[in-house]
Amino acid sequence: MTDRDLDAAIRRMTQSRINRRGFLAATGLGATSAFLAACSSNGSGATAAPSTEASAAPTAAPSTEASAAPPADIEKELFMYNWAAYVSPDNMELFKEQFGVETFTYDVYDNNEVLIAKLQGGASGYDIAAPTAEYVPGMVEEGFLQKLDLSRIPNVKNINKTFKGLWWDPTDEYQVPKDYGTTGILYRKSLISKIPQSWREFYEMIKGEASGKTVFVDSMGDVFVFPLKMLGYSLNSVDQNELEEARQILLEVAPHLYALDSNEYGFKLKDGTSVLTLGWTGPLGQELADEHTAGEAGYVVPSEGTLFWLDTWVMMAEAPHPNAAYAWLNFIHEPEVQGEETNYNLYATTNDPAKEFVNPEILANPAIFPPDDVIASLEGAQDTSGNNQRIDIWEEFKSKIGG
Amino acid sequence: MSATAVPATLPRVARPSTRRRADPFGSLIEVWFRVHTGAVYVFLYLPILVVVLFAFNDTQGVAARFEGFSIRWFEIALDDPVVMKSLTNSFIVAIPNAILATAFGTMAALGLQRVGKRVRLGFDALTYMSVIVPEIVIALATLVLFATSFDAIETLTGIKLKFGYPTIIAAHVLFNTSLVLLLVRARLSGMDRTLAEASEDLFATPWRTFRQITFPLLLPAIVAGFLLSFTFSFDDYVITTFVSGPGSSTLPLFIFGQVRRGVTPETNAVAAMILGFTLAMLLIGQAVLTWQARRAGRRGDTGMAAVVAET
Amino acid sequence: MSADAARGAKLAEPGRFRARLLTTILVAPAAIWYIVLLVLPLVIVVIFSFGTRAKNGGYAPAFVLDNYARALSKPDPFIDSLWMAAAGTIGCLLVGLPLAYFIATRATRRKGLLILLLVVPFWTSFLIRTYAWLLILGPGIGVGTLLGSLVGGGRVDLLGTPFAVLIGLVYGYLPLMVFPLYVTLERMDRTLIEASKDLGAGRWATFRQVTLPVALPGLVTGSILVFIPMMGEYVIPQLLGLGRTYLMGNALVTDFLDARNWPNGSARAVGLIVIMMVTISGYLWFVNRGRRTREVSIL
Repeated sequence: MTDRDLDAAIRRMTQSRINRRGFLAATGLGATSAFLAACSSNGSGATAAPSTEASAAPTAAPSTEASAAPPADIEKELFMYNWAAYVSPDNMELFKEQFGVETFTYDVYDNNEVLIAKLQGGASGYDIAAPTAEYVPGMVEEGFLQKLDLSRIPNVKNINKTFKGLWWDPTDEYQVPKDYGTTGILYRKSLISKIPQSWREFYEMIKGEASGKTVFVDSMGDVFVFPLKMLGYSLNSVDQNELEEARQILLEVAPHLYALDSNEYGFKLKDGTSVLTLGWTGPLGQELADEHTAGEAGYVVPSEGTLFWLDTWVMMAEAPHPNAAYAWLNFIHEPEVQGEETNYNLYATTNDPAKEFVNPEILANPAIFPPDDVIASLEGAQDTSGNNQRIDIWEEFKSKIGG
Repeated sequence: MSATAVPATLPRVARPSTRRRADPFGSLIEVWFRVHTGAVYVFLYLPILVVVLFAFNDTQGVAARFEGFSIRWFEIALDDPVVMKSLTNSFIVAIPNAILATAFGTMAALGLQRVGKRVRLGFDALTYMSVIVPEIVIALATLVLFATSFDAIETLTGIKLKFGYPTIIAAHVLFNTSLVLLLVRARLSGMDRTLAEASEDLFATPWRTFRQITFPLLLPAIVAGFLLSFTFSFDDYVITTFVSGPGSSTLPLFIFGQVRRGVTPETNAVAAMILGFTLAMLLIGQAVLTWQARRAGRRGDTGMAAVVAET
Repeated sequence: MSADAARGAKLAEPGRFRARLLTTILVAPAAIWYIVLLVLPLVIVVIFSFGTRAKNGGYAPAFVLDNYARALSKPDPFIDSLWMAAAGTIGCLLVGLPLAYFIATRATRRKGLLILLLVVPFWTSFLIRTYAWLLILGPGIGVGTLLGSLVGGGRVDLLGTPFAVLIGLVYGYLPLMVFPLYVTLERMDRTLIEASKDLGAGRWATFRQVTLPVALPGLVTGSILVFIPMMGEYVIPQLLGLGRTYLMGNALVTDFLDARNWPNGSARAVGLIVIMMVTISGYLWFVNRGRRTREVSIL
C-alpha cells in the first residue's frame, strides 16, 4: 500500500461518510428486507455480503446466524448520551431502519466527568451512555447502571477475551466494550533531532530541545502516566512517596510546556508551534493526516509502557427504552457494523470478526492497533480521582505551566 | 469720603461670554470619539468576519488554513438533523427565558421603589449573589435541587417530572432576571419622578401611569434587558449542560462537543447562518416599522432603532 | 423626614392596601424565582460544604470543617483571579465608557442601530468567536504573521500571553459594561452640559461634575456585572492563554469534575461568595458615602 494510497484512504475517511445508500446496498440490506426481517420472529441481523467502498478486503462469507429473536416490542425511541461524533451516522440510520426506531436522540458530553457529575446530581432520562471503563465500577455502586441480560446480547461473543473479565467488570454484566486506545507521544519528525522512544527520553527532550514547544493534554489521568511510568511505578499509584517523586518531575517539566490543551494540540503540532505532545491518536487521522501519511508526524507508545483506555457501552438504570437499548447493544457488535464504526472513529475495535471489515490501512497502523508486544506493556487505568495528593499535585502543576 | 475721579470709561470686566468659547480641543475629541467607536466595532466584528469566512472554507474536515471557497458546509449544516435540532432548541429556550426574565425583572424594579429598606436590601443581596455564584456551582446545585424535588414529587403525587426545556428555562431566567433588574433600576435611579407623581396625584391608575409615563421612559433599559437575556441564554453552556434532558441540547452543547473531535466549518456555517438571519431580521424589522410609521403619518426618527433608542 | 420614613408613613395610610398589594404583585415573581432557584441551591451548596466526599465522588453527609481548611490553604487561584478580573474590568471600562457615551449622544435612529449591532456578534457561539481569536492572534495567520514580519522575520505568537487573555475578556464582557453605562448616560440632560460650559467650566470639570455623577449608577452596575463573573471565568484564559493560568474557575472544575469532590468545591465556592459579597458591600458603601440622595443601593 503506497503512501499515496494511504493518504487517499485517510482522506476518504475524514470526509463526509460514505453514502448511506451505498453502504446499505453493499451490505445487502435494503430497508424493506431489514424491516421485514426485524418484524418476523426469526430474522435478526443482516445477511452480509459486505464490502465498503474504501475497503479492499475480500468479501466475507455471510456471518450472522439467527440470534435470539428481537422482541417485537422495541420502542420507537432511543436516547443516547455520548461523546461527540463517536458513532457512525450510517450505523445510526441503519439501526433505525432495521429496528423501526424513529427517534434516535444523540446528546453530547465532552468528558466523563461531566457525565458522572450529572448522574451524581440526579440527572436521568437516557438509555445508553459511553463512559470510559474505569468509571464503571463507581457507576455500578451508585446504582446508575443496569445489569445486563447477556442472553439478549449474543454478539458479545465477538469480543476479544482480552477485554473480558477485567477488574472493572469481572462478570461483564454491566458494560459492553466499545473501543480502546492508548496515550503516548506525538511528534513532528523533522523538527526534532530524534524520536523519543521512552518517557525518559521524552522528559529529557522537554527540558532540552523541545523546551517551550511541548504540549500536554489537559487530562489528569493521562499526564500522571508520564512520570509514574518513567519511574517504573504503576500509573494508578496512590503511594505517597511515589506520588511525591512524580510531583518533582511534573514540576520540573511544567515551566517548559507551551500549553495544556486537549482540543487544539493537533493543530499546534501541524503548524509546528509544538514539536512534541503527550496525547492521543485522534489527530493522526484528522489534522495531521497529511503529515502522518508523509511520515512526518507520528505516534509512539513509550517503552516503559502506558495506559490503555477502554470506552464502554452501558445501559442506564432507569432507561426508558430498554428494548431498543438492548437492540442497540447487540447491533453495534455485528461485525460489519463494528467495522464501519472503526472506519469512522479511527479507534481500535475490541471485536475480532469486525476486523475483516476494517480498512486495511487502519488495521496496519500501529498507533491505532498496537502490536502484541506493545499491548503487553499496557496498563489499565483506575479511578484515582479521590486521592487528595494527586489533586494537589495536579493543581500545583497547572499553576506552573509556562513558567 | 473724597470723591475719586470716575473714569471716563469703565474698565473692561471679564465676564463669561454668552457665545461658546472657541474650543480647540472640541473637534479633536469628537474625532477621537469617532475613531474609538469605529475601532471598537472593528474589534467586535473582526472575529465574526473570520468565522463567516471560514464557513466557506473548502476543506474536507478540520482546518487551520483557508483553502478555497465552497458552500458545501452550509449544505451539510442544513442537512444535519443534530445541528438543526440544537439550533431550534436554543430558540425554544432563549425566547421564553427572555420574555419571562424581562417581565419579572422590570416588575421587580418598579416594585422595589416602593418597598421598605429591609426588603430592598434583601433583594439587592440576592441579586448580587445570583451574579457572584460561579456557573458550575449553581448548575450542579440546581441539578441536585431539581432531582431531589422531582423524586419527592413523584413519591407524593406520582407525577414524574423530567429534565428538559422547562428546567433549562427556569435556570436561565434566574440569572437574566437579575440582569434586567439591574438595568432597569439603573435607568430608574435618579429619573425624574415628578411626572409620575403628578400623574398619580391626578388620580391616574397605576397602570395608566406606567403605560404612558414610566414605560416609555424605561423602554431602552427594558429592550436592552431583553436583548441581553436572550443572548446569554442562547450562548449558555455550563448551566444548560447540567440541567438539560435528552433531546433538549442547545447549540452551545453541540459546539462544545464538536471541539473534542475537531471543529469543522459546519459549525462556522451554522454561526454564519444565524448571523445572516438575525441581520436580515433587523433590516426587515427596521423597514417594516419605518413603513408602518410613515403610513401612520409620523415623521422623523422611526423604525426599530427608534424603539430601542427612544427617550 | 428621610425618604424612607416618608415612604413608610405613606404606606401606613389607610387605603394604601391596594398600593401594597400592587407592590407585592410586582415583586413576587422575581422573589419566588430567587428563593426557589437561588436560595435553595445555595443552601444545598452550604450543606455540601460541610460534608465529605462519597466513595465514588459526590457528597456524603457529614459535618466537618476540613473542606474550608483546605480551601483556605490554597489561596492562589483566588488571587490570580482577582488580578485578572481587575485588569479585565479596567479594560472594559476604558473601551466601554467612551463607546457608551458616544452612542448615547447620537441621534435616535443611529443610537438604536449601534446598540443592536453591539449585541449581534454575541448571537454566534462564544466558542467559535474565541476560536476565531485563536486564529487571529495565533502564529498561523493574521496578527501573528503580521507582527512577525514587522519585527523582522519569524512568527510572533501572541497566544498564551496575558495580552491575549485580556483581549478575550474585554471582547466577551464588553456589553455587560456598555449597556448599563449607556442606559444611564442616555437619559442625561444635555442642556446641563451646555449650561456648564456656558458658565465657563472646562471639559474636565464638566465631565467630573455633570457627566460622571449621572453615569455613576451605570458605572457601578457595569463594573460589578463585569468584575464578578470574571472572577469565575476560566474558559477564555484556558483557550487564549493556552492553559497557563490556574484560576478560581479552573479550581472549581478540578474540584467538581476531576476530583468529583463536591464538598471541597462547595467550600471553595462559599468562600468565594462570601468574600465577593463583602467586597461588593464595601465598594457600594464607598461609592454611596456622601451622596445626598437615596442611596444607589445597587445603583
